[in-house]
Amino acid sequence: MLDFSLFRMVIFSISNARYTYVHDQKYSSEDVDIHHIVSRSGSAKYVFVYATALLVLACALYLYVLKETSISLVYYSLLFDIFIVKLLLGKPVKKESVVIMPAFGVQLETHYVSGKVIRCFVPIDKILKPVLVECVTPVTCYWTLSLIIRGESEMVLVFKKLRPPVKMLVHVWKALCAATGSKEETFTHAE
Amino acid sequence: MTTGNCICIHSDVNSMDNVDCTFILNLNVARSGSNRCLFSSSDFFSHSLTLSSPSSSAAKVRACGPKALRGPTSTLPFPFYSGRPRESVSKAHLQIDREVDVVVATHAYGNRSGVRYMTSGLKVYYVPWRPFFNQSTFPTLYGVLPIIRTILIRERITIVHGHQTFSTLSHDALLHSRIMGYKVVFTDHSLHGFGDVGSIHMNKVMQFTLADVSQAICVSHTSKENTVLRSGLAAEKVFVIPNAVDTAMFKPALERPGGSEIVIVVISRLVYRKGADLLVEVIPEVCRLHPNVRFIIGGDGPKRMRLEEMREKHSLFDRVKLLGAVPHAQVRSVLISGHIFLTCSLTEAFCMAILEAASCGLLTVSTRVGGVPEVGIRHNLSVDVWFEDKLSYELQYLTNSTVVVLPDDMIVLAEPDPGDIVLAIQKAISMLPKIDPQAMHNRMWKLYNWHDVAKRTEIVYDRAMKCASQSLSESLSRYFSCGAWAGKLFSLVMILSFLFWHLLELWQPADDIEEVPDVIFSHNCEGEMMQNPNNGNP
Repeated sequence: MLDFSLFRMVIFSISNARYTYVHDQKYSSEDVDIHHIVSRSGSAKYVFVYATALLVLACALYLYVLKETSISLVYYSLLFDIFIVKLLLGKPVKKESVVIMPAFGVQLETHYVSGKVIRCFVPIDKILKPVLVECVTPVTCYWTLSLIIRGESEMVLVFKKLRPPVKMLVHVWKALCAATGSKEETFTHAE
Repeated sequence: MTTGNCICIHSDVNSMDNVDCTFILNLNVARSGSNRCLFSSSDFFSHSLTLSSPSSSAAKVRACGPKALRGPTSTLPFPFYSGRPRESVSKAHLQIDREVDVVVATHAYGNRSGVRYMTSGLKVYYVPWRPFFNQSTFPTLYGVLPIIRTILIRERITIVHGHQTFSTLSHDALLHSRIMGYKVVFTDHSLHGFGDVGSIHMNKVMQFTLADVSQAICVSHTSKENTVLRSGLAAEKVFVIPNAVDTAMFKPALERPGGSEIVIVVISRLVYRKGADLLVEVIPEVCRLHPNVRFIIGGDGPKRMRLEEMREKHSLFDRVKLLGAVPHAQVRSVLISGHIFLTCSLTEAFCMAILEAASCGLLTVSTRVGGVPEVGIRHNLSVDVWFEDKLSYELQYLTNSTVVVLPDDMIVLAEPDPGDIVLAIQKAISMLPKIDPQAMHNRMWKLYNWHDVAKRTEIVYDRAMKCASQSLSESLSRYFSCGAWAGKLFSLVMILSFLFWHLLELWQPADDIEEVPDVIFSHNCEGEMMQNPNNGNP
């Protein structure tokens, strides 16, 4: 049984404190292009959140055992802990991938730490243009890479959960432009 | 010349959702490495950005000078007609033309939110803070600190330039920028009172904001006097730079409206401040005295009902036309349909509408209030403003400017009294045959142009950049002197802002916020792309 992972060839990679971008090709074929953004979020956040949750539970238990308050306080603190963990940690994402198959389509994958993978396929002829967009929220501003889909008013986010920096997004954007046939000559001019 | 970045914040936010995006289809990056400017103002709509400066067709952002962030104003948006947003935008455009790189931040309007690129590559952030009263955002004090900090870092801003007294976004942004160590410039566009409760409180807020500002700009000497008295700011920190007018847009008609009829045009917000009540009394009297006079009134507001009642009472339906709100792009077409422009404002720091009307070749009748008598006087910065560098280039340029007073053939002034205004209109009607619209336009082109204003604003930025950086304790001592109780309150607000800022630095370090690549827009929008994305952090 052949292990197809052996045929994966890493072409290019960039790293920062939070994300690693990897561009590789599968099956030694130049046709299928895969771009990964791997999350490197540290364990500090998890430690902090779980420690806080434990502290809240410990306080509730202390009050119940020693100060003889009602058991419902422990239940409420448990519910609060679950809520806090769900809110702050959510479903941790391991990596997000973009598999570009020219003349066929683009597959967007989200790999969770739990092993679950969510895939979304976009046919190549449905993609009007890939765009880099600056998103403004009331508290922050960040870059996203999106696909404008023909006939749809909503854009499709390429990286749905992670927020990689623009210098990583640019490589994926260029590859998507090349695959979808968007203006190529400007790339060479810019380089 | 200044090589800083300046931010201009306009509180014009259009939010569909919390996250709204706009397109940057391709980005060209031209690395500049010098200062950048962000402007902040409240009123910003795209059809005001039709400024046709000589280089607008080049459509290239010269990313090599100061970058300014222009701050928020609470200027009312369309349909509340106002001159200020266009003025700020025009200035922003022209500064892009020169050595200053400008970014504008404002709050959202309607469905306009996110980042947009305007004419000449002007970048505007429509921050999705919803306005809660009269197009002004809720004063949250610390709510805007995260987004303002993010914008200042990612755009590599050096100077923050705020507009307007009533903009909460502006005040908040200026305060936080000061705490974060940026140079701050404030422009005041209006005159305000001292007597009523609202004015007293607003003046106190303004005293707070301006206690530690680097420089201030006012649009007329009257406005400077008013600002200095209200805020207690040192007079030597305040510069007078009058507004200009986009003479390329406001051109007279090729053929003057003929016939025996005389058309008087009024374009203003129909509110008490703009003298709508005076208008109600003046119009019937003028119509009675001159059967060949017609009125065209553009603009909307709470006093519109009074005007309609007046029209009904005196049966003036065929002689008084109410257009309602007039989009800025259509103002010129309304102006050129008339012969005389009438404004009855009760208070006016510097009336842009008069400049626009004069540029279109209309004879103006106005009330003698505020900075209006200064219209037509070529402004110089006072020599005594400059304590050092007296022989600097800037000073030589400024003192070489000559003082020109417009003769009475361009503007007729009257006291804010119905009888006096009627007499002034009669005088204007008698002067009409001698008016040459094209000659008036040419004169306005020479006296008031945005290039001059942009150049002078850059001089102010230069001065701001030369101001020494201050530590927190020095800034706090200034806030403390604002009043017995107010001083302590202001100092407490600033200390909390400082602590919040450091908390944000821990939560989201400045290194994590990647800088935005500079953009070059070519003539052909297709030919844009991103270069050098590695300006940010590794």
